[in-house]
Amino acid sequence: MNKRILIVDDSFYMRTMLKNMLTDAGYEVVGEAANGAQAVEMANATTPDLITLDVILPDNTGLDVLKSIRQTQPNAKVVMCSAVGQEVIVNEAIESGALAYIVKPFSEEKVLEIVGAALQDNSTETAA
Amino acid sequence: MKTREQEYRELFMAEALEYYDSMSRHLSELERNPNDAPALNELFRLMHNLKANARAMGFMDLGEVAHHLETLFGLVRSNEREFAGPLVRVIFQGVDALGSMIRAVGANQPLPDAQALLENLDRLVRGEAPILEGEEAENEEESSRKLELSDLVYIQVKKLDNLLNLVGELVIDRDRILTLAQEIGNPALQATAQHLFRISDDLQYSVMDARLVGVGVLLNKFPRVVRDVATAENKEVELTLSGQDVQIDRNILQIITDALLHLVRNAVGHGIETPEERVKAGKPATGHLELSALTERDDVLIQIHDDGRGINTEAVRRKAIERGLTTAEAAANLDEQAVWAFLFEPGFSMAQQVTDISGRGVGLDVVKLALDSLGGQLRVDSKMGEGTTFTLVLPTSIAVKGALLVEVDERPYAVPLLHTDTVLALPPEEFSVVGGVLVMHAQGQAVPVVPLRMLLHDEGDELFPLANKTELQGSQQVLIVNYNNRRLGLLVDRFLRQQNIVIKPLSKPLDTIDLFGGVTLLGSGQVCLVLDVPALTRLFLSKRP
Repeated sequence: MNKRILIVDDSFYMRTMLKNMLTDAGYEVVGEAANGAQAVEMANATTPDLITLDVILPDNTGLDVLKSIRQTQPNAKVVMCSAVGQEVIVNEAIESGALAYIVKPFSEEKVLEIVGAALQDNSTETAA
Repeated sequence: MKTREQEYRELFMAEALEYYDSMSRHLSELERNPNDAPALNELFRLMHNLKANARAMGFMDLGEVAHHLETLFGLVRSNEREFAGPLVRVIFQGVDALGSMIRAVGANQPLPDAQALLENLDRLVRGEAPILEGEEAENEEESSRKLELSDLVYIQVKKLDNLLNLVGELVIDRDRILTLAQEIGNPALQATAQHLFRISDDLQYSVMDARLVGVGVLLNKFPRVVRDVATAENKEVELTLSGQDVQIDRNILQIITDALLHLVRNAVGHGIETPEERVKAGKPATGHLELSALTERDDVLIQIHDDGRGINTEAVRRKAIERGLTTAEAAANLDEQAVWAFLFEPGFSMAQQVTDISGRGVGLDVVKLALDSLGGQLRVDSKMGEGTTFTLVLPTSIAVKGALLVEVDERPYAVPLLHTDTVLALPPEEFSVVGGVLVMHAQGQAVPVVPLRMLLHDEGDELFPLANKTELQGSQQVLIVNYNNRRLGLLVDRFLRQQNIVIKPLSKPLDTIDLFGGVTLLGSGQVCLVLDVPALTRLFLSKRP
């Protein structure tokens, strides 16, 4: 069955590109959030199989968003998404339970590889 | 036609200009109050986004400047640098440089050189003093600064509809003026009319182009639909989408939404077998559904293909006889295509009585009606045990249709090209009479022929009189039309010409005459009725002797 993915990024351009890559590959994009508040709300409303989460958002850091989502959904699979320069936050995010890190600019192959691997990963479920 | 590459570029530009405007605003705020933390955070975020987007688009120099500025803002944010002195000047220069680079991208020009700026930014990051040129340079930059608005506009479909209607009216008047100019014979008037013709043609295509959207906006909704239906029906279905970039009029997409939804539900619910059945039939347990869009000449094709059980042609044949749609003798001679056409008959249902068939048939007539209203076609192809493909043939645009103008009893009629097959002039010997119906042979197939006059003048409930070959005098003009895979030859007096027409709906009380799909005005000012080929075909089938 199609895996359902929520995209969180404050750039419309980035969201569109990610969405095209993911839907072309047969994933279902259940929502697109442009800020932290939207992200938490949509994650809880849609309970997606995976969330791609931008590190820097207008109202919050991706790290805060990750933490609040994992409070209500401890099994949520999250892949961080950021351009270089934010390694500190990304590392912290991985420690807080994010599964992987997509570096912008990304290639379609790379995105699908990381997303596919994260969806296969069961470590978050066993941890809970 | 807009490719995905172009779409990305437009999105990038729109967003980059927006970022640039916001950055300039926040920079002024920060200059007034260097402790304005929200402004600083926003600058940092916007710079970070611009860097990522520019690199994704391959504008590396632009990304590099943004990257340096982001680093510098990061240092200011962590209080390692103070937003004061020469740093402020270099940052302003940097944001200005970003503005020029974004504009250069928009104008498809090479990006301006930023080497000196990058070196100064590096110095500031390292904590060294930047090397600044005199005041003149800055003034020069100030005078060259421009204000830019986004290149993208969002518009209500209603407004585009209105525009399209106005263009339709204009085209009708244009044809009238062109004809009048020729009649009057004034060369200056003729030249102006020709010019008007070209401009309004361009205008028409521009308006049509503005209404195009990618088929993807509809197709991308289907993964969810397929998932839900498959779950409800205990099926395993994998969906593939392709051709999302194919462009089509937004309203056409709107009109076929329900039809497509219906076909997809049917394919999952009735076409694709349960995993157990599939394994038993030697197929993979997971069924495959493919939704694809492609362009063929001026049409857009949307195909729904499943690898399910296929249509049981014999069951449909039996059902058609049972329903009295055809006789047992006639049915025996029908090929698969002709049999499948019964699936689109109103109320034709394969449910309950026949369980070994895909597609309940319920509602397929509704799909057919939606396509008829657009002047589109619905094709079906199927192989028992291997699957079924439905193809929706759609016009790219609603406004203008290619039509063949024919004449009967000195009146012109327009036949949409989408339904015309062949035009022939044949001697009477080429026709024969079979079962009271006039028949001709075209491409190895027997095609019934009827004078268009007879269909147009039909009244009451009596069947048509038996055909009489001796009434055919001299060469006969036959227009073969095609509807639902049924071909019908129409005898007309004369073929006039082929032209693009703008179809207007019939006004009351004429709108009850269902043989006409609308009316169009010819350049001569003459009113011309547009024939509804599906209705003519149905009338012929119901009245044939």
